[in-house]
Amino acid sequence: MPLINARAEEISSTAPDVVLPPDVELAAVLPTLGELAVVAVEFPKFRDGRGFTIARAIRQHGYQGDLRATGHFLPEQFLFLISCGFSSFETPVEHEPAKFAAALAKPRQPGQLLRRSLARAREVA
Amino acid sequence: MVLQVITGNRLADGVSVWFAGANGWTEHVDQACSYDDAGMEAALAQAKPEDAELRVVDIRAVEVTHEEGKLFPVAHREQIRARGPSVRTDLPAGVWRDGTAQLPPLPSSTSSSPFAGIYRYDEYDRDFLRQRAREFGTMVERRRKGELSEDEFKPLRLMNGVYLQLHAYMLRIAIPYGVLSATQLRQLAYVARHYDRGYGHFTTRQNIQFNWLRLEDVPAALAALAEADIHGIQTSGNCIRNTTTDEFAGAAADETVDPRLYAEIIRQWSTDHPEFTYLPRKFKIAIVGAGHDRAAVRVHDIGIESYRNDVGEPVFRIFAGGGLGRTPYVAVKLRENLPVPELLRYCEAILRVYNALGRRDNMYKARIKILIREMKPDAFIKMVEDEYASLPADYCLLTDELVQAVAARFPEPELPRQDGGVLKAAMLDDRALARWVKQNTHPHKASGYVSAVISLKPVGGIAGDASADEMDVVADLADKYSLGEIRVSHVQNLVLPHVAKDDVPALFKDLVKAGLATDNIGLVTDIIACPGMDYCALATARSIPVAQRIAERLAPKQHEIGTLHVNISGCINACGHHHVGHIGLLGVDKNGEEVYQITLGGAADEKAAIGRIIGPAVPTAKVPDAIEALMDAYLKLRETGERFIDTYRRLGAEPFKEVIYATH
Repeated sequence: MPLINARAEEISSTAPDVVLPPDVELAAVLPTLGELAVVAVEFPKFRDGRGFTIARAIRQHGYQGDLRATGHFLPEQFLFLISCGFSSFETPVEHEPAKFAAALAKPRQPGQLLRRSLARAREVA
Repeated sequence: MVLQVITGNRLADGVSVWFAGANGWTEHVDQACSYDDAGMEAALAQAKPEDAELRVVDIRAVEVTHEEGKLFPVAHREQIRARGPSVRTDLPAGVWRDGTAQLPPLPSSTSSSPFAGIYRYDEYDRDFLRQRAREFGTMVERRRKGELSEDEFKPLRLMNGVYLQLHAYMLRIAIPYGVLSATQLRQLAYVARHYDRGYGHFTTRQNIQFNWLRLEDVPAALAALAEADIHGIQTSGNCIRNTTTDEFAGAAADETVDPRLYAEIIRQWSTDHPEFTYLPRKFKIAIVGAGHDRAAVRVHDIGIESYRNDVGEPVFRIFAGGGLGRTPYVAVKLRENLPVPELLRYCEAILRVYNALGRRDNMYKARIKILIREMKPDAFIKMVEDEYASLPADYCLLTDELVQAVAARFPEPELPRQDGGVLKAAMLDDRALARWVKQNTHPHKASGYVSAVISLKPVGGIAGDASADEMDVVADLADKYSLGEIRVSHVQNLVLPHVAKDDVPALFKDLVKAGLATDNIGLVTDIIACPGMDYCALATARSIPVAQRIAERLAPKQHEIGTLHVNISGCINACGHHHVGHIGLLGVDKNGEEVYQITLGGAADEKAAIGRIIGPAVPTAKVPDAIEALMDAYLKLRETGERFIDTYRRLGAEPFKEVIYATH
């Protein structure tokens, strides 16, 4: 399946060092990730949002390597995935990379309204 | 021989359609082809070619009977799908709108509400909403072309407030913490008038629902609403929903902290939250800041009470795991004295634990309330505290700078009027006015003002429904008397929050003229009722007709009975909050008959309690008798000044049980 980066460009495929299932016990796994090059997080179905929390927790723990989303997710979720710290994406068969590129073409930045409010309060000040 | 027809809802407009063999899909059940068991398999194959989903969704067989050349679905729900809502026989099912009709200019192009206490959007915010409307248009397009399956599209449309109900698509629009400007209400009236069938329904989440949207009109309706800074984002789906609060927030005399500021901050934090938009199940937050809980915070996924600490700073008491539905619970308390900067961090910790551990194998056990009970509250609280302690120090910190940035967008209302005695004098001569003032006004923090409640519960009407014309009238009255501001209450009424006492007689006169002066707030006819099986695809029984019959029966005694909350839900999902009604009614289907379970003793306020079922369900026709008998018993048993709920708490269910079951 095609692999893309956060700019929706196709990149050459590399095997992940570990694939974390959505019910992974994070406390046990976090200390073991440090030096790994590629950590994959599996989305069994796009509605299952555990992967978002797993990614945030891994990044907040300080993991710097490639964090990869695999399984089933939608172009409509691309910006959220990026916000949570994913850096590569094994796109599902039903949704080709071009649709992910289209999701990036929006004029606005992803993220919560509140972050925008803060950024803009600072701009005005 | 069992006879069946094939039915579904048309993708483009949601209209219920019936399969007529070689003639394709028809809008009338009488034109459908009927099949016996032997013919069904081939017929279903014909009705469901591989690309069927591009035109019709939810294709299935339903049982019918054949009488005098006509086909009648057996199930009540299917009858209502075929004929339209039983409570609006003026609005039959089927196609009603000409999509090519030219529409007049938007109210927002000529009207504004400069003094309303709504959060001020600027062009940047407005562009965000316009873009969201366009994005939804793209999703609809992708769905129509088959790039998104129905299974993939459904959560996306839900996240934008679009449901598929019995007769059409329903569009739920957020009214953040129940605050609206007159201009926004006019814009809602415009959508009701031109994209719907002339009315809307205010909900217990302080939102509004339109019942008759065509999917292909939704992007245009959302674009129209965006021009008045309103939207349907996260009004459904497994995400953080509209934050609700006290309908008198910022006005109530008993308020210590204005919760609107924090509700707005929570709204901004939860909108498009990248981590918490695909939760195990929906997630509801409510916040209050007065001595009395008017937003039912203890039956929310997260409930927040704001108050002031010893040095006068606002702080929060945090509850979690309350909820109604199939397994009702009163929330557990997690924290006292949480300082403002920590508010979002603490909510993040709760949601992170929930998102990681909430059940995803069974949607009926997926709410946070179940997780808390399965883990035990102490273990859950410890986990949240650990998660909270491990968050990076600056993560999601609600800085003073941020609070000030949001606060600066709320205009402070100017309330210079003093009480000149006009109202007091008028009440001496006008008993109807005096009664309305007693029942429908609430003390204001500025002594020359009151908050006035406009009842959307006329006796025999439909709870929470307002016509486009009524919305326009209320918008005009808000401009005239209440700084252009309106509130929606979680009991489905409207509020003019800032009315000068001296203006109340004039306001009352205008309300009488508009037919909006029903003086029943907090009384037995002020019933909360969900739309029920007249509209809702989930319902198992109708709620509206039962509410109408109870109101008609008890209206003559309602002032004598006094404060009483009757809540009715048409299914176990409890949108009508039946568990927390002093009297609760839950409609269920028993062998094809609609019957109602009665619960007593529920409460939604700071003494929150889940009502107890008192016995076997009562048939529809007997419900008014049962409630009347209950009321007669209460009137005999009560001590002077005692509300029904207090008599119940004193005496228990026994004396009431007896009289209810004596009626049938």
